[in-house]
Amino acid sequence: MSTQYSILFKQEHAHDDAIWTAAWGKSEADGSETIVTGSLDDMVKVWKWSDEKLELQWTLEGHQLGVVSVDISHNGAIAASSSLDAHIRLWDLESGKQIKSMDAGPVDAWTVAFSPDSKYIATGSHLGKVNIFGVESGKKEYSLDTRGKFILSIAYSPDGKYLASGAIDGIINIFDIATGKLLHTLEGHAMPIRSLTFSPDSQLLVTASDDGYIKIYDVQHANLAGTLSGHGSWVLNVAFSPDDTHFVSSSSDKSVKVWDAGSRACINTFFDHQDQVWSVQYNSTGSKIISAGDDRAIHIYDCPM
Amino acid sequence: MASFGWKRKVGERVSKSVVQQFEAEAEKADENPAEEETDWLHAIKRRREILLEDCDAKSKRLKEEGAVLAEQGRHWEAIKKWDEAIQLTPDNPLLYEMKSQVLTILQEVFPAVKAAEMAVKLRPLWWEGWQTLGRAQLNLGEVDLALRSFQVAIHLCPSESTLWQEDLAWALKLQKQYVATKEKIRQEEETKEQILNAPELDQDYDFESDEVLAACVAVAKRQTHYEELKRTAVVIDSEGNIKNVVCGEEETEEAMPPSKEEFIKARGF
Repeated sequence: MSTQYSILFKQEHAHDDAIWTAAWGKSEADGSETIVTGSLDDMVKVWKWSDEKLELQWTLEGHQLGVVSVDISHNGAIAASSSLDAHIRLWDLESGKQIKSMDAGPVDAWTVAFSPDSKYIATGSHLGKVNIFGVESGKKEYSLDTRGKFILSIAYSPDGKYLASGAIDGIINIFDIATGKLLHTLEGHAMPIRSLTFSPDSQLLVTASDDGYIKIYDVQHANLAGTLSGHGSWVLNVAFSPDDTHFVSSSSDKSVKVWDAGSRACINTFFDHQDQVWSVQYNSTGSKIISAGDDRAIHIYDCPM
Repeated sequence: MASFGWKRKVGERVSKSVVQQFEAEAEKADENPAEEETDWLHAIKRRREILLEDCDAKSKRLKEEGAVLAEQGRHWEAIKKWDEAIQLTPDNPLLYEMKSQVLTILQEVFPAVKAAEMAVKLRPLWWEGWQTLGRAQLNLGEVDLALRSFQVAIHLCPSESTLWQEDLAWALKLQKQYVATKEKIRQEEETKEQILNAPELDQDYDFESDEVLAACVAVAKRQTHYEELKRTAVVIDSEGNIKNVVCGEEETEEAMPPSKEEFIKARGF
């Protein structure tokens, strides 16, 4: 285990164009670690992380336009991807085959997120509706209405109780999943919210916005618990570490920043990308961070444990 | 103080007297009081500050003048104003973007792409810059590049419905047409190839048999098929279905984007 933050591995030219999204999963079956990336080149790529290096496992073709979002089911068996062609596709990570293709209708697929039980996929839509698709059925099961604007970001709370959405006008909505009721509407930012994430204990919600700020909310009471500044441009992605102690953010200022969840201070900044960093994620233990962006590179960083 | 370069050039071609006179004058110049020199420096410095302010203000004025001219349809005059403004503030992406819009109207396709490229380089997170670049690239016939630019624009601002409904849809349609046309040309060439080297002619025929007749019919059939292919054109109807239409029977669809904006959006931030 390392004692300081450092860059561990760089995969240059991982795609033929900008990488817009990445996810890190762990297979329940064999414990192997899988990374999925989606790019403007219409491709979804599946990488194996072993022996401290990346190995390309599958190049998944099917999307007709750029891939906006990817997620991996919690058992590590299935990946979901959404594209500008308005299709959500499900892929078997073991075989590299497409399981399902769901037509979400025009402009109705942006960020995709698996529910904690991995039975559903949530995605935002342009009319402010959160559509929930069944993984098994491949159909839209139900939807939650924010009565707001285009939903850019979606997150399930790990305890399965809440679903949060971030809109292009900076409004955050938190739903109670059991009742389908809208619990809170927060006027968090004045600009688009491109990413939000719950802490592993489902107590905190962290949001990232084009206004350059990261905000932390207490989910239960919908109180603003903190506003963090440090990025010089849009904050594009945030992700919480599985041990609840840190979270990481990426920005169009080309940097990746690691924040201490307790003190809310930035404890490390990586300046290794050449261009906007669209995606950042932790692995399942929190020992590694992955980032990817417009420079077509995937970076893996070591985190002290 | 650095030595003046003239001295090193003194040679046969410069007469001694001229050199001496020049040196005497140079010495006189050196005798100037020191305070005056600092005064000059100061004045120059101050003037530069004023000039910097002027650049911004003048550029803004020129930009607005250009916008008015463009709205009146005086496109070349608008471009002249904006070029002047670009000289003053070369880092302003709005100027390049507006210039690109007008160049597109003027069908100056390549300069339009160049200007829009500059705009997105200076401000990569500005979706309108990418939209303008995409439209310029489409005019140049670079459908794939345009499609990419529109996708970047949408990724930056997905709530903008014109990007989806007009720009992206239009580029996709053109791409489809392009692919279909390429496929047709391939088919045409294949058929032509087969007419020239008909497989039926490779065989040895017993001239008494029906085989010859069958072969002739096959060759003739292929000939008419080729003629037919040559007469048809690839057309995409409004629902996006690809059809092969015999020329002359139906008007090919007018190649115009759904809403051709002749209006220049003034960039005012």
